[in-house]
Amino acid sequence: MGPEGSADDDSHPESGAKPPPPNWGIVFDLGLRLGISVGVGLGVGLLLDNWLGTRPIFTLIGMVVGISAAMYTIWDVARDAMRR
Amino acid sequence: MAASASWRRVGPIVLAVVVLLVVGTAALLQSPPEGEESLIHVSIKAEPLFDVGGFEVTNSMVGAVLASLLLLAGAWYVTRRSTLVPGKLQSVLELPVEYLANITSGSTSRWRSYVGLVIGLFLMILVANWLGLLPGVGTIGVVHVEEGHETLTPFVRAAGADLNFTLGLAIITFVTFVWWAVRVNGVKGYLLELVGQPRYMAPLMFPIHLISELSRLVSLSMRLFGNVFAGEVLLATMFALTTAAVFVLPLAFFVPAIFLGLELIFGAVQALVFALLTMTYITMGIDEHEGEHHEEATEHDERTPARPDHSTSASAPA
Repeated sequence: MGPEGSADDDSHPESGAKPPPPNWGIVFDLGLRLGISVGVGLGVGLLLDNWLGTRPIFTLIGMVVGISAAMYTIWDVARDAMRR
Repeated sequence: MAASASWRRVGPIVLAVVVLLVVGTAALLQSPPEGEESLIHVSIKAEPLFDVGGFEVTNSMVGAVLASLLLLAGAWYVTRRSTLVPGKLQSVLELPVEYLANITSGSTSRWRSYVGLVIGLFLMILVANWLGLLPGVGTIGVVHVEEGHETLTPFVRAAGADLNFTLGLAIITFVTFVWWAVRVNGVKGYLLELVGQPRYMAPLMFPIHLISELSRLVSLSMRLFGNVFAGEVLLATMFALTTAAVFVLPLAFFVPAIFLGLELIFGAVQALVFALLTMTYITMGIDEHEGEHHEEATEHDERTPARPDHSTSASAPA
């Protein structure tokens, strides 16, 4: 181990260490989250419709919100990736 | 002389392979005759084994406890016998820890606070996944008759093949990254982040943000469960296919081995993905706030350049 640095330069375990490998875990995450976002929105809409007896209003709203959430997820992940 | 020396080395291996072939063939020939249901089946939910004071213990819990014990034993062994210049075993055990510490160290300046969780999750999932590939896991158990069919309840099941286990790990991750976001942003700041900007869009943006947050929890748990459970089904199918008839029996010694090798790789990849995503989510929670506050502080400094610089330190998270 190199000499202990201050809290500000506490970013690497060793001074002069190689830069960390790229984080490719996010690639595995994005595709699944798109589907799940739509599924969660649709599921909540269906549950609300069954509960309130208003089919298909909340199902449609849930689907639209779910698809929007999926699009937002893409944007969020892309923004985070670009920032790095 | 050289030939006899090499035979002395190879001989026991050849003998072991021959014995395994004979014993394996004999065991496979004892499989249920045609018309009867095969004992190989994979239940989508973990099967209960016994009760402890009304608390149901399932075979996947046994798998999780065994994985924990194995990790504890490994940690105990390494910490007792660790040396500054590591031996072969210590190097192998330290390899994943160093690799993940190296990745995590590049995430944020506070990486030391959560690197333990990331490494712990990786090791736990890795050991639990690989434990499920050992001989006897999922195949040795109690046979009982249900509605006229014989079913096998294994004593041990891969912990990752139970949604309760993966959901538990995902909840730990979810709570941790929400806690980090709240710690850095404050409760009000975190809720305002969910509401989004501009405020009049809140009725639309709040559900979208909420679903996006929840999708992380669901995707983490479902991905791990889906992959491990699919692996179990794949292996069971390969065993069933290669033992379906006598003339394909020789394949039973090779084909499942290929898929066992693949499952070793998939187990490691899934453990790594879970750990890396945990790190990414925590990093995003911390980074978002730090970025926003940095921007706010910069704007504030630009508006009031003559004032002493205490706003940055005041807004810096503890």
